[in-house]
Amino acid sequence: MAEGTRLVRVEERLKIKIGEVKNLQSRSHGSPGARDVYCVLSLDQEEIFRTTTMERTLNPFFGEEFQFEVPRKFRYLGIYVYDRDRHLKQDKIMGKVAIKREDLAAYHNKEHWFPLRPVDADSEVQGKAHLELALQSQIGYSQPKLTVRIIECSELTVKNSGYDPFATVTVNYNNGKQVLKRTKIKKKTVSPYFNETFVFEPEIIESKEKDISHYPLERGEIGEVVVGLWHASSGMGEQPAFLGEVRVTLKGLQKQPTNTTTAWYFLQPRQIKHRPNKISNSSTSPGALPGLGSLRLKIHYIADHVFPSAMYDRLRNLLLQSVNIQPITSSAVYILGEIVASKMEAAQPLVRVLVHYGQLVSVMRALASHEISKLTDPTTIFRGNTLVSKMMDEGMRLAGLHYLHSTLRPAMEQVFLEKKSCEIDPTRVKDANTIQTNLTNLKEYVQRVFTAITTSGVRCPPLMCEMFWCLRELAATHFPKNKEVRYSVISGFIFLRFFAPAILGPRLFDITTEQIDFQTNRTLTLISKTIQSLGNLVSCRGGAGSVCKEEYMECVYREFYTEKHIQAVKQFLELISTSSNSGIAKQRTSTQQEQPIVLKEGIYFLFMHTADCKKRIMIKRAQGRKRFGRKNFKQRYFRLTTQDLTYSKTKGKEPLCKIPLEEILAVEKLQEDSFKMKNMFQIIQSQRALYIQAGNCVEEKEWIDILTKICHTNSNRLEKYHPSAYVNGHWLCCKAVAEIAPGCSEVSPGVEAGLRMVLDPDRDLQRIHSLIFTNMPRLETLMNACECQAVYGANDMCIIPGGGSLIEDVPSCFKTLTALREAAYALQHEHRAYFRRLARDTKYGSKQAPIGDDNYLHLAARAGFESQLIKRAYEIDSLNQHYAETDHCYDSGFSRRIEDQRSYDETFRKRLDSGSIHRRYENENNLLRQYENNIDTIKSIQNDLSTFDHSLNNTFRTDNSEKNVNLENNRILDSSSFLTTDGITISNTLSRKFNSYDHTKILKECTVTKFKSDKTDISCNTLNDHTH
Amino acid sequence: MTRPPNNDNLVTFKLVVVGDGGVGKSAITIQFFQRLFVTDYDPTIEDSYIQHTEIDKQWCILDVLDTAGQEEFSAMREQYMRKGDGFLLVYSVTDKQSYENVMFFYTQILRVKDKDACPMLLVANKVDLVHLRKVTEEQGRELAHQLGIPYIETSAKDPPLNVDAAFHEVVRIIRNQPPVKLEKNRRKRRRSGKCNLL
Repeated sequence: MAEGTRLVRVEERLKIKIGEVKNLQSRSHGSPGARDVYCVLSLDQEEIFRTTTMERTLNPFFGEEFQFEVPRKFRYLGIYVYDRDRHLKQDKIMGKVAIKREDLAAYHNKEHWFPLRPVDADSEVQGKAHLELALQSQIGYSQPKLTVRIIECSELTVKNSGYDPFATVTVNYNNGKQVLKRTKIKKKTVSPYFNETFVFEPEIIESKEKDISHYPLERGEIGEVVVGLWHASSGMGEQPAFLGEVRVTLKGLQKQPTNTTTAWYFLQPRQIKHRPNKISNSSTSPGALPGLGSLRLKIHYIADHVFPSAMYDRLRNLLLQSVNIQPITSSAVYILGEIVASKMEAAQPLVRVLVHYGQLVSVMRALASHEISKLTDPTTIFRGNTLVSKMMDEGMRLAGLHYLHSTLRPAMEQVFLEKKSCEIDPTRVKDANTIQTNLTNLKEYVQRVFTAITTSGVRCPPLMCEMFWCLRELAATHFPKNKEVRYSVISGFIFLRFFAPAILGPRLFDITTEQIDFQTNRTLTLISKTIQSLGNLVSCRGGAGSVCKEEYMECVYREFYTEKHIQAVKQFLELISTSSNSGIAKQRTSTQQEQPIVLKEGIYFLFMHTADCKKRIMIKRAQGRKRFGRKNFKQRYFRLTTQDLTYSKTKGKEPLCKIPLEEILAVEKLQEDSFKMKNMFQIIQSQRALYIQAGNCVEEKEWIDILTKICHTNSNRLEKYHPSAYVNGHWLCCKAVAEIAPGCSEVSPGVEAGLRMVLDPDRDLQRIHSLIFTNMPRLETLMNACECQAVYGANDMCIIPGGGSLIEDVPSCFKTLTALREAAYALQHEHRAYFRRLARDTKYGSKQAPIGDDNYLHLAARAGFESQLIKRAYEIDSLNQHYAETDHCYDSGFSRRIEDQRSYDETFRKRLDSGSIHRRYENENNLLRQYENNIDTIKSIQNDLSTFDHSLNNTFRTDNSEKNVNLENNRILDSSSFLTTDGITISNTLSRKFNSYDHTKILKECTVTKFKSDKTDISCNTLNDHTH
Repeated sequence: MTRPPNNDNLVTFKLVVVGDGGVGKSAITIQFFQRLFVTDYDPTIEDSYIQHTEIDKQWCILDVLDTAGQEEFSAMREQYMRKGDGFLLVYSVTDKQSYENVMFFYTQILRVKDKDACPMLLVANKVDLVHLRKVTEEQGRELAHQLGIPYIETSAKDPPLNVDAAFHEVVRIIRNQPPVKLEKNRRKRRRSGKCNLL
């Protein structure tokens, strides 16, 4: 692979909010009516997250969020809805939502109701198979000989914690005859290597095998080859479990001369008509789904292709210059906040980049100063959702998460444990007599949390203190007479935006993983309310108890509105807002170093491997013959702090072992074959190695990432290591016999990390770039506004997107805008070149890009249609400008907006007046018609191209049969129809297109054919929309 | 004042006041329930108020939830959006950003409800601050028209303007909403949802 593509890393982040499920079917037997429902989030078939269980309902509300770095390639993100069954212990799957990885981007940052789809044993597949198919014509036979070689498979599903796969090959003849052959069983592997060859002779030798039908045969033509993967169940009489299949159509290819295809194929679910007769055949005819209910999800999916650092120099410099730009409204940071619709999205990467380069505080000061200067009423200082408040928020989360945990956890854990009732609202309690007890409980909890917070000042991270100090100074300068503002400006962040939300939603802030019941939830609300009011106490000019919003809360407030509490809050706010060069701050930093902060913890399986002979013998004797049996794996509670890694028998017990961070020489994945166990990683020390099995692939990645980062600065880091374990007298990876043999593979390069903080500025810069690029039209609108204002002066004629105020300084602003645009275009150019390279290097049917799942469309899209897509996006935008002037909600991304139209968003449709929709679709239909006219031209060009690869031909024929109109199709259709209307003659365009991608001719072929078959579907689709 | 009739027969309307931080949601709510104008700004986490009220000669129970405007609390929004019967979308005429953000609340409510329409009222607050006004009445009406919901201008400062009217109006919208039609819409929506997911 080309050098350039290797330097690019892909970083994917997925945040998924599981909102609620509605209209579930009620139980027909057992306890009738409601169900106990929970959801499971999985990557393909691997579970990575599970929600709490909502009991006795058919419309459960979850409101849970889970986010993670995507650790590996996957095909589907699945959300399964389960009904818990206490008696049978086998929870029932109610249905699922599966979203293809490639389609995730289309749902980014939007909320949708997804219909639940049925799940059975035949629909849940994952993995891929490497096959070789050869057709050989033989002299004397009219039919060719078929040879099928099953080479290997990878990433197969684990069924009922068993994985002993075997494969079957079925050849279907068009006269209805079937021939079935099977491979040997490979034990305990999800990536079996079979390498077995099966030959299917054209003349059938009769009745040698019993499985073959007994009818006398006519000369059957080979219609289809089906390779099925199965898990051989250990139980007697149990049927093998289905793992997936590959269908390859060979119809009509018999006349061809010899040809051989070797390719990877995605395993597919069994088609309904081929399934063995089970229950559902009659009820689940495709198209008419039974109402299984629907699931509301919000998906936040970001995939960034991060280039080498130098690529981002321009953008980085622009951002880092921001602090010197006068006025600040002309700086890149400010402009970024203006053009990106969601301030949160902009603030996140911005803060991280600025923190990394040590500029956060100075940039914040400039921005906050600007915001305060516009402020008229000091009481609402930073209370809205502005760039400054979002950046503060992000900064606090980045620097202060551990501080938050260490402050709140002990006090909150008590609340979760005791579950004392705290309801004091007379309208919500059944028995009025309990109010007094509840009040006592509440006061106790509040006091505990309050003390925890107000005594935590010395531990507040320096970065947060710096930010608070700067805000306080600004408040003092702008409102010299109003002393309260100095406090309220800080309490508005530390209490309102930091502690209060964390108390209210502890699961969202990782304070706990426990399930929170309704009553505890209400308790948390009451605590959070009181704490927020107390934090705000110092800025209330009226003093204690001036106004009480809810009457019943008065008795709580009365207890806490004392001089003592006010003093405590004041002292706390003073302490956390002192500049770094004062004495208190120094004291603070010294205490900080002494206290280790917990970075990660959890319970996992551990295996220890020691080079010390004595100890090994001990293990041997103690544990029986097999050294590496499952028995040797112990469950241990692991805890990583900023100082060491420890493990103990259970949480809270004395640690059995303490490993100082300096002694960790390397942290790497452990190859699966070592113990035949998944998700394992190794921590290498000088005399031994710890092998740890993480719960799932997400956790494994998190541990490896954080350990690598924190140990990156270790001077004695290893350069080489063994990717597998030492088993049965040799290293599995390099076969070296000596246990002390030096490693055979180079350690993976750690991402450059500064200050032991988990920062990755290149990745964040790439994120910023994507934001700028997707919001390019808004940036250009801003440029137009600049021009307009320069000519006509400041008046209403110059409209600025997002309802911003007038541009403060036109020349400097314009300069920054131009520079930003240029930087974005330059970077985008690199991206395009990269994707082309990638498309050229990726062979369809290779392990990276298996056949199936419409994979070729994605490859084609990546290869170069993107550029046209963007142009098209602009076109659409100008249309939008006319039709839907105030389409605020969807300005978060342009290409996304196109997809919006496809995804038939109800609200969107409503906002556009119906006329415009019609016009839009008419327009689309016109394009379609023009496109149809040009099909012939395409065909002729097509004929001139190199001949088809047979196997490919087959595959897209099968794919075509699926006939699902996915977004990619639309996209490609879009781009080509755009070309036709652009006034460019079709032949010109096509030849140009083909020239530039001649190396991906085959891909192109696929696409073109795909167009033809899908064209009708799309027009149907458009018409459907039309009629709605 | 007439006495409210027997509690048991009364309809309860769950109203929710939403909008950006600092736009005066609590000020309106407290003015409505306690006839007070609070000058101190104490950001709300979640407050609820209950009152018997006579609207258009019909008695009812108003259960009003005053919410947090800060985005930090957005995770908790869904819960009350599910339960609310009617919504007051509040923005401040002195804060353009809060006007822009109304759209987010509007979309989120409809998403959570999974409907094309839901009883909502666009409330332009702080109209007493004439000299600081950044969002004109025209702009407000335009947004309301676009969202297909009624518009009202309020001020919680004494003497209050339209505060009672705003709450009463939402109740009226809920009362006038034909329940049958909603069912139909929901079905239609599901069908169309299927198309795009293929």
